[in-house]
Amino acid sequence: MHKSLKMITAAVVGAVALAACGGSGASPGSTGGSTGKTLIIGTDFPLQGAAADETIQVNQAIELYLEQIGHKVGNYTIELKKYDDSSAAAGKWDPALCTKNAADHVANANEIAVVGAFNSGCSKIEVPILNQDPNGPMLMVSNSNTNPGLTKSWDPGEPDKYYPMSKRNYARVVTTDDNQGRAAAQFMVHDLGVKKCYVLNDNDTYGQGVAQAFVTEAANLQLQILGNEPWDRAQPSYTGLFEKIKALGPDCIFLGGSFDNNGGQLVRDKVAVLGDNTAVKLMGPDGFTGFTVLDTLPESQGMYLSFPGLTRAGLTAQGGEAAKLLAAYAAKYGAPPTTSYALYGIAAVQVILAAIAKSDGTRKSVTSQLFSGAGVTIPADVSAIGKAFSIDTASGDVTVLDTTIEVIKDNAESFVKIWPITS
Amino acid sequence: MSLDTPKLTESEPIRSDLSQSHTKRWALWFSGIALVVWLFYTFVLPLLGEQAGTFIRHWMPLGSINEALVWVICAIGLNIVVGYAGLLDLGFVAFWAIGGYIAAWLMSTFFDQISHGIYFLSAAPPNQHGIHINWWLVLIISGCVCAFAGIVIGAPTLRLKSDYLALVTLGFGEIIPQFFVNGENIFGFNLTNGVKGISPLDNVSPLPFGPPAVSLGGATIPISQPLGPFDVGAKYVLFVLVAAFCIFVSLRLREGRLGRAWLAIREDELAASMMGVPLMQSKLAAYAVGAFMGGLGGVVYAVHNNSVFPDRFSFAISIVLLAMVVLGGMGNVWGVIVGALGLAWFNSTGLPQLGDSFNEQFGTDINFPSYNYLVFGSILVLMMLFRREGIFPEARTRQVLREAERSDAEELDGGEV
Repeated sequence: MHKSLKMITAAVVGAVALAACGGSGASPGSTGGSTGKTLIIGTDFPLQGAAADETIQVNQAIELYLEQIGHKVGNYTIELKKYDDSSAAAGKWDPALCTKNAADHVANANEIAVVGAFNSGCSKIEVPILNQDPNGPMLMVSNSNTNPGLTKSWDPGEPDKYYPMSKRNYARVVTTDDNQGRAAAQFMVHDLGVKKCYVLNDNDTYGQGVAQAFVTEAANLQLQILGNEPWDRAQPSYTGLFEKIKALGPDCIFLGGSFDNNGGQLVRDKVAVLGDNTAVKLMGPDGFTGFTVLDTLPESQGMYLSFPGLTRAGLTAQGGEAAKLLAAYAAKYGAPPTTSYALYGIAAVQVILAAIAKSDGTRKSVTSQLFSGAGVTIPADVSAIGKAFSIDTASGDVTVLDTTIEVIKDNAESFVKIWPITS
Repeated sequence: MSLDTPKLTESEPIRSDLSQSHTKRWALWFSGIALVVWLFYTFVLPLLGEQAGTFIRHWMPLGSINEALVWVICAIGLNIVVGYAGLLDLGFVAFWAIGGYIAAWLMSTFFDQISHGIYFLSAAPPNQHGIHINWWLVLIISGCVCAFAGIVIGAPTLRLKSDYLALVTLGFGEIIPQFFVNGENIFGFNLTNGVKGISPLDNVSPLPFGPPAVSLGGATIPISQPLGPFDVGAKYVLFVLVAAFCIFVSLRLREGRLGRAWLAIREDELAASMMGVPLMQSKLAAYAVGAFMGGLGGVVYAVHNNSVFPDRFSFAISIVLLAMVVLGGMGNVWGVIVGALGLAWFNSTGLPQLGDSFNEQFGTDINFPSYNYLVFGSILVLMMLFRREGIFPEARTRQVLREAERSDAEELDGGEV
């Protein structure tokens, strides 16, 4: 016991002595304003689980873009650091890792801004932490968050509770679920001529949001909603569910949710009970886009999809900078990205780089450039999403509200049209 | 770190390895190590060069230690149920979840129907919606509610053993998170906010009164000021105190009458009953005490993450907790602590960092964290093959397992080995 006591005492004394010898250390997270320095952009995505296929492609697309610009913007050298916010135990994004990553972003002295998070729930944890950065607020730009509450009034307390320092530090380059759900309902009524819809949601934050937006818009369009209920992702079969729905006689089904919540089985059982997608129309949001497994299902042929922006297929057909990026990606990695979020990852980086170029190289300045004055605008000739866009300096939302409508045909997602949002 | 586990010989009778001096020695070690860690991160780390500082922040960030402490608290609670009383519990995550949600209800703006806010010694800003209770009090409330829940789950399982007990607890562990998932509309009332979870929570303060902070050796030590997301050092101290309380309670109960009753039930329930050990009372006490600590872990977890989400409380969490107990050494608090710290670090930081270093060194692009369960499972298999009793086993467990090995050898050799 005496020996133990001596060892502990020596260690404590040593630590205190070291502390007493030192002066003040460099504060973590401090970023100087000197020119020619290296700045890091972090990406914060779930790199494990069902979303990994998409997020790895987003990281690859960003790497490719940084190579194309020579890792330079103004006098700054730009490096990329990839963070993983998923865990094997969760198989998806993990709140504990979102918390840890947010602290790591702030602690990494040369990190200037973050692309991400991929999931709105994770962003809701990280944004308030980055907002309180003593050298910030630190900027976060998401390429995929569609939950409205992050930027505009939605649930009680939103969005102000995510900005404890009363300054905005979050922006996104995709439009929100309310717009996507609205566009899906308008398309189904005006173009497909449906009268009676049954809505299913995956009981996730995203799925509930987009399904509710669809239901709300349906009321404006005199589209009858026969029901809105969650599907249980753990069920081996949904034939019982669709038998119940069949009795109500719907002419369309809207799936508010993600394909990785057992969406494949849901689509198979829908066709088995209600017939193919020409008889009873089937539509899903962007949670069903980018999945080769879905696209090649015989039962998914004829299924309509919406995407809160411009899709890979449409951008390829349009030509320009986006098409060039897709071609370069295919040349480097052997095939074009299956997810349209890859290009939106580049768009998020373009926003950050534009803010860096106007700033003095500090986090505070970069964030300020985006949310004050003229803000940031990405011109059409360089835009990764094929058209000029800017960030609303008050909310952080993107000003381009396009929603793309696609249909699965010949085992691929085919462009149908851009749906203009009307209120 | 020396462990000084007493060596047992055939001639030496089994004795408690938790004599008073032993307990004091370990208390000294725990306090000393916890203090050194805090001093290092608070005073020494800022003085280290950029390279060394970055290395430590990448490989052993204090935030990861804080998260590991949550696992430690819950693993100590589970150790009482599984390690002490021998009751297999596959649903411990339920208590973790209940604790987390109690923290979220009592420390946030979630109940916006309460427009002027209910405040009690809270560090939250004034004039907010919702309930804002001091976090120390929330710890006590959460522990008590979970202890009651432990008795509720424990009561119907009193007649069950082994597989059946495991199934009932597993069911409980599945039901509770589902309740939180579906609790968004309970007769029109939003109790849990469903899958959207509850965030953010109030910032906690170490004490509800006193000066905002004191300056010590160039560092600012918060006293009554709210802790922000970057006050990980102060949160570390708070979490260590909660863990220390759990360790203290666990060790003291183990030495007492109740602890001996638990061990007797674990070794042979029928014999214990014949010797006059009150089975019902002892088992319920094990569930209640274990659940109390699970509730504390839930509050600490919610404060650490500043949020709670129902899908985080999955069955896998119960299994990982059980693995921590088995791997560290069932029944031995210190073994369980080492198991929890080691596995928690490996999950959150160790493997991802190892992957980054490997990929950087060899120019590969291997997703190391995706092999987490492969490595994890392999370790468990190897442990079961070569060290069934865990890394730091309880003396009693070790002797029971070693005795079996010796008997097998004697049968083969026909004599003494």
